[in-house]
Amino acid sequence: MNEHIDRRAFVSKAWKGGVALIGLAGAWTSWDLLRPRRGPGGGEVRTVAADVVPEGGVVEVTAARAYLTRVGDEIVAISEKCPHLGCRVPFCEQSGQFECPCHGSVFNRLGEYREGPTPRGMDRHPVRIEDGVIFVDTARVEAGPDKGAPETIDEPPAGPSCAGEH
Amino acid sequence: MQLMDRFRATAVGRSLFRSPDRVTERDRAAGHWANFLLHIYPVKVHRREIEFRYSWYLGVASAVLFGSLVASGIYLMFFYVPSPASAYGNIQAIQTEVAFGQFVRNVHRWSANLMVIAVAAHMARVFYRGAYKPPREFNWVIGVVLLVLTLLLSFTGYLLPWDQLAYWAVTVGTSMADFVPFIGGTTREMLLGGDQVGSATLLRFYVLHVAVLPAALVAVLAIHLWRWRKDSMLDDGEG
Amino acid sequence: MADPTTDPGRTQPQLAAGRRVLGIVPGTPATGTRKEPDRDEMVMVWPHLLVRHAVAALAVLAVVLVLAVLFDAPLREIANPTNTPNPEKAPWYFAALQELLSLFHPQVAGVLVPTAILVGLAALPYIDRNPETSPGRRKVVVATFTIFLVLWVVLTVIGFAFRGPNWDWVWPWVEWHGEL
Ligand code: HEM
Ligand code: FES
Repeated sequence: MNEHIDRRAFVSKAWKGGVALIGLAGAWTSWDLLRPRRGPGGGEVRTVAADVVPEGGVVEVTAARAYLTRVGDEIVAISEKCPHLGCRVPFCEQSGQFECPCHGSVFNRLGEYREGPTPRGMDRHPVRIEDGVIFVDTARVEAGPDKGAPETIDEPPAGPSCAGEH
Repeated sequence: MQLMDRFRATAVGRSLFRSPDRVTERDRAAGHWANFLLHIYPVKVHRREIEFRYSWYLGVASAVLFGSLVASGIYLMFFYVPSPASAYGNIQAIQTEVAFGQFVRNVHRWSANLMVIAVAAHMARVFYRGAYKPPREFNWVIGVVLLVLTLLLSFTGYLLPWDQLAYWAVTVGTSMADFVPFIGGTTREMLLGGDQVGSATLLRFYVLHVAVLPAALVAVLAIHLWRWRKDSMLDDGEG
Repeated sequence: MADPTTDPGRTQPQLAAGRRVLGIVPGTPATGTRKEPDRDEMVMVWPHLLVRHAVAALAVLAVVLVLAVLFDAPLREIANPTNTPNPEKAPWYFAALQELLSLFHPQVAGVLVPTAILVGLAALPYIDRNPETSPGRRKVVVATFTIFLVLWVVLTVIGFAFRGPNWDWVWPWVEWHGEL
């Protein structure tokens, strides 16, 4: 390398370096101010007693933004948030499936994929049962079942879909 | 007019306008150099450029609509607090209690919609005229940036009334960012200030809407107009 | 004509029409090789362009005024995170995107397509190097752009007016679900 650096080259490098440093400091500060922080919300939510969750239907828990349903003895907590683009997915009682109003994705009672543009089934939260009461851990989200996976329950639509009713 | 002429002849008038009265072409040209508002314009343009069918005046229309948005937007700012607890009530109050509130809100909303149309149509007209060809290539790129800024302004403003329309349109719109590889999730949470649309989102969108994006748009527009001014002084047979 | 940089007669300062030529340098002008404007075809901006722009501005403002007097800006119920309205409509300028999102994987419709459109638009003047400006002599690029434009407008109209609850097809004259 050249041991001798002249004044002109030094000043030229110095001011570019200075600008780069200021830019870096600005970027870091902005990131530090704006970066997402996990708030205190989104932890374990105490919900309902396990025995009120029906076999054929769902229970909505607004506080957890989730639905509870069961397969045999197992309780499943399904996030209301559509895995497509985040709309709240209502449960349609007459057809027994989840039907998203935004782009028409449809899921069975366990949130498994039936139709529509969603990339996967509905996401789930881990559950814990203590003294017969269900706790839903909303801080943790398990990606929903794959789009191509076969449905694990045999419940074809029980009636007409809710679309068109409002 | 006589009064105006008399005023221009006084010491104050001359200090204000500097340029002589606009009788000869030379005086009118001097007016361009001496007047802040006029200096955005070239002194002379090609004959064809002043006709309707050249530009359909869509660039002017976009600029006028932006002016209308700034004026009506500043009025709305006096009565609007960007928090989920107050935003919706503020809009209701604007519509029912504030003097001309409903009218100003209508002006803001319809100008915003028209501005998106005007900017897009302006771009199409420039395309069909072939006016993005050398030496104007880079001004076309600047135009694309202006279109993006207009869409962002409109989208951030859409959240502010905090009604059902606003909340869910923004939920869906920002969820698309999640699917951008690698940086998507973080980008979305930085925009929302959390993992769902909430009070941090409303504040961030408000700051973007009334300060960051309009300032950016003005800066980029200044470059756009400056380049337009330079380039329309040439006659390069473009038509 | 002799090359001025090598012509020995030109290397000495000369008198031309009362001015002295100090030197002649090779190369192109720093400002680029632009054509000189044809003076007869140029008109003064003041007043010819300015009056037209003023009229255009007043016309635009008149349209805004009429719209604002006749139609009130929409305001729905207050935001409710626990209930998505059905149908859920994006602002109209994103209706085409929303329509695509109902058809394709979000990575395609929500990321790839918008990025491709913006990059494509920005790159247009560097892709289309044809100097012709009249539409008849640039058929390929005009056709491509027109197809894109028509497609986008059609998708926008479908997403805006022809989609109802659960994003199912509706006829706008039977039930109206457009939102501005
Ligand atoms: C340049 C383009 C702009 C666009 C496209 C735009 C668009 C919008 C839109 C769509 C809304 C929702 C309107 C409504 O529901 O009534 C809105 C609201 C608002 N805008 Fe803008 N805006 C622009 C510029 C500005 C500027 C420059 C300001 C202030 C300096 C401003 C201040 C506001 C405020 C305070 C609201 C909330 C009030 C309301 O919703 O009625 N806007 N804007
Ligand atoms: S958000 Fe549910 S289908 Fe798009």
